[in-house]
Amino acid sequence: MSVDHILTTCPYCGTGCNFFLQVANRRVVGVVPCKTDETSKGSLCIKGYNAHAFVNHPDRLTHPMVKKGGQLTETTWDEAIGKIVSELKRVASAYGTDSIMVLASAKCTNEENYLFQKLARMAIGTNNVDHCARLCHASTVAGLLQSFGSGAMTNTIPEFENADCVLVTGSNTLEAHPLIGARVLKAKEKGAKVVVVDPRDTPLSRVATMSLRQQSGTDVAWINGMINVIISEGLHDKEFVDSRTSGFDELREVVRGYPPEKVEEIAGIPKDDLVKAARIYASAEKAMIAYAMGITQHSNGTNLVRALANLAMITGNVGRESTGVNPLRGQCNVQGACDAGALPNLYPGYQSVEDDETHAKFEKAWGGKLPGKKGMTLTCAFNQALTGDVKAMLIFGENPMMSDPDTGHVEAAISKLEFLAVVDIFPTETAKLADVVLPAACYAEKDGTFTATDRAIRAVRKAADPPGDARPDWKIACDLGKKLGSEGFEFESPEQIMVEMAAVAPIYGGVDYARIEREMVRWPCPTKDHPGTKVLHTESFKIGKGVFAPVEHTPPAEETSEDFPFILTTGRNLFHFHTGTMTRRSVKLQREAPNPYVEVNPVDARALGISDDASVRVSSRRGSITLSARVTPWIRPGTIFIPFHYVEAAANRLTNNALDPIAQIPEFKVCAASVEKA
Amino acid sequence: MRLAFEEKGADYLLATRDEHGNVAPVLLKKGDEPGTLRVDVPYQMAMILTKVNKFVKEGKIAVVARRCDERAIAELVKRDLLDQSRLNLIGLACSAEQVKECRCTDPCPSVVDFGECAEPSGDDASVARLLDMSLSDRLGFWIAQFRKCNKCFGCTLNCPVCFCDECLLEDKTFTPEKGIPPGLAFHLIRAIHLADKCVECGECERSCPVDIPLLSLRKMVSQDMKELFDYVSGDSERRSPLLTTLEGDPMEDDANVC
Repeated sequence: MSVDHILTTCPYCGTGCNFFLQVANRRVVGVVPCKTDETSKGSLCIKGYNAHAFVNHPDRLTHPMVKKGGQLTETTWDEAIGKIVSELKRVASAYGTDSIMVLASAKCTNEENYLFQKLARMAIGTNNVDHCARLCHASTVAGLLQSFGSGAMTNTIPEFENADCVLVTGSNTLEAHPLIGARVLKAKEKGAKVVVVDPRDTPLSRVATMSLRQQSGTDVAWINGMINVIISEGLHDKEFVDSRTSGFDELREVVRGYPPEKVEEIAGIPKDDLVKAARIYASAEKAMIAYAMGITQHSNGTNLVRALANLAMITGNVGRESTGVNPLRGQCNVQGACDAGALPNLYPGYQSVEDDETHAKFEKAWGGKLPGKKGMTLTCAFNQALTGDVKAMLIFGENPMMSDPDTGHVEAAISKLEFLAVVDIFPTETAKLADVVLPAACYAEKDGTFTATDRAIRAVRKAADPPGDARPDWKIACDLGKKLGSEGFEFESPEQIMVEMAAVAPIYGGVDYARIEREMVRWPCPTKDHPGTKVLHTESFKIGKGVFAPVEHTPPAEETSEDFPFILTTGRNLFHFHTGTMTRRSVKLQREAPNPYVEVNPVDARALGISDDASVRVSSRRGSITLSARVTPWIRPGTIFIPFHYVEAAANRLTNNALDPIAQIPEFKVCAASVEKA
Repeated sequence: MRLAFEEKGADYLLATRDEHGNVAPVLLKKGDEPGTLRVDVPYQMAMILTKVNKFVKEGKIAVVARRCDERAIAELVKRDLLDQSRLNLIGLACSAEQVKECRCTDPCPSVVDFGECAEPSGDDASVARLLDMSLSDRLGFWIAQFRKCNKCFGCTLNCPVCFCDECLLEDKTFTPEKGIPPGLAFHLIRAIHLADKCVECGECERSCPVDIPLLSLRKMVSQDMKELFDYVSGDSERRSPLLTTLEGDPMEDDANVC
């Protein structure tokens, strides 16, 4: 008998908490927090404590399956891989390699994502590789790259504790990133002012110093309004603005159009509250901004991110400890999947595929010809599948049938594909539609690294064997690469893959497994003797000077109407994660939030004649779902909220596929909807 | 420590050691390479022992135990949840700093194999401050603290004497699914439920991500147990007064009047 404690990284949000998986006789049985971990300090959230619960679930995929006579039928690895290879080759020769789309996975390791993009670029010959960062922080990557030159969180998680002010917007931090939320609370107990701006009351806003509720889709207005107040009251950091930024005059000109009275009209935030919040933020010595999907998931998401960057720069809150613009990444390795180049326009380490020198560098490093033109985004790929321009998809660990906007649209797009292969740990809604399904190892069954939201590279360690014939994704990618006839997929271990990634991605240049074994390294870490970087942009911005973006408020893509009078916004709750694949198979998490619900304000509920727990039908221009009403003052009148975890009432049946023009992120946070008794 | 383990004739050693730049709990079998054992990071070993004990059904386990672990183990043995004859405790005395942090009044294990016993902590300023408050202020204080609760259930999961297989408090009867925070019932029923078992190890407070001062609450309940029933938990002989209410002297006559 043996009982082992294997230190690893949590598979849920991007905080990157480490804990011990308790393993009895090679079977994962529990979770014990790690007291010496810098991020979690011996605490976890309810999802972390239950991170073992789905690992041994009987629904786990255990054998490769190939569709025969319309039925997915168990088969051998050889046949399944052979089928994928022959279909990809057929599609490539009939329609060209750009008719193939590869979806990488924010649930997989850095090493795996590195292989997924290499598989697309090198073995298949297309830059059509993307992943669900497109649905969460694509606008962050694009926006912060333009404003600062680096698209990641500027500061680190422990720094929240020492801030004097934390401005949280579009982030339900205590539910979606519980241990970051806890740090914000610690800061507050030490005297920091916490200001939350959100259309919903959240557990954090309820204990915040100030809570402002804007109408969904009006964020540029209130952010510009705050900058307006700060400039007109002379609270901006003139020295920082002069020495470290460009474009101030244009910004000042634009925000003149957003006096507090006008902001109140547009966003519904009382003008005195806005002024007060602006003063709190601007007068703090060290102020941090934290944001998440409430900012990014808009059809003007990139502009919104840039507006927040404006706010931080105008007050000199960049480049010092406990300041900065801090996008909270929502999946265990969504930061790393971006870092590893699982993006259609960027090689590993954010190097442009359309830059000749970089292109040549990668051709040399990988020893083969690479496509020169940038690929298509995930959201674009489903549109193109519908028009017949994308013919085949290879999906690693993603579930677009639940996660992407306008499910009906995704369903129609997938049905038009000639070939779909899905690699996953559970029979997801997407896997059920596939021609080939491959069973993967989950986080507890493989080695590798995840990169947390604060750029910390954290080890994932194998605690148990995968069930049945399941294999780690990196092995599957290596097999596919080799069988597709490509060189450069002869890896024996994830460690070897990291050696190659570090060699081609300068921000990971100094990263190796021996270091990660003994220290917390945060990128950029260009060399072995570089300590890694906690605070970005300390001396100068990566692009020299920070760039102010004069952005204007634009209304959301879809506005309410007589037929669809409510604004629907979507998001997570504390107990479930994304498409529910893992958490809804975890007994204790499922018990906490077993059924789908829609939050409705009591004023609206009364007008509709709806009581708490009543069954209601919520519809948008794209579909209808039936679920129970949760009547609560936590949502503002005129707005409704639905968590998107529940397949039986999937919120994304309703959401709008309107895209941000730069980042192509969909507007999950605003669409017009109706509510009626079911 | 390896020596202590072998001297005590155990088949397993439950301790903590250096792993991956961190300190990790470890269950060593006789003959295993021990690595660099550590005693400075206070993992709640009684809690980890309970989990390990579910799987290791045979053989003797030597456990590195502080005084609070020892007392928690006594509570578990008393309830037949652990078998004393299968355990050997390796006594670890907490440092003065740790004693101060836990405001610990009983820091010295019955046998000291490692460390030196520090002086017990005297007055508990946090408890004293709370007792000075009016009842309504005190309630206000706790309501404000419990509003921070984010339902991780770390206080129950890491508690060495929270031994029920299924925690009824986690069920939606007491922590309705709609509720974050979970409401006073969860914390207050828990406070009373553990009154005759809590050993004031402070693990609930240390595990709490939002710093609810749960150890102060525990100390106040323990103080009541001492004053009302002259009962102190953590001894394998002493019976809980909460199990004996219907025994002993007949009740007063007026107990029949309702």
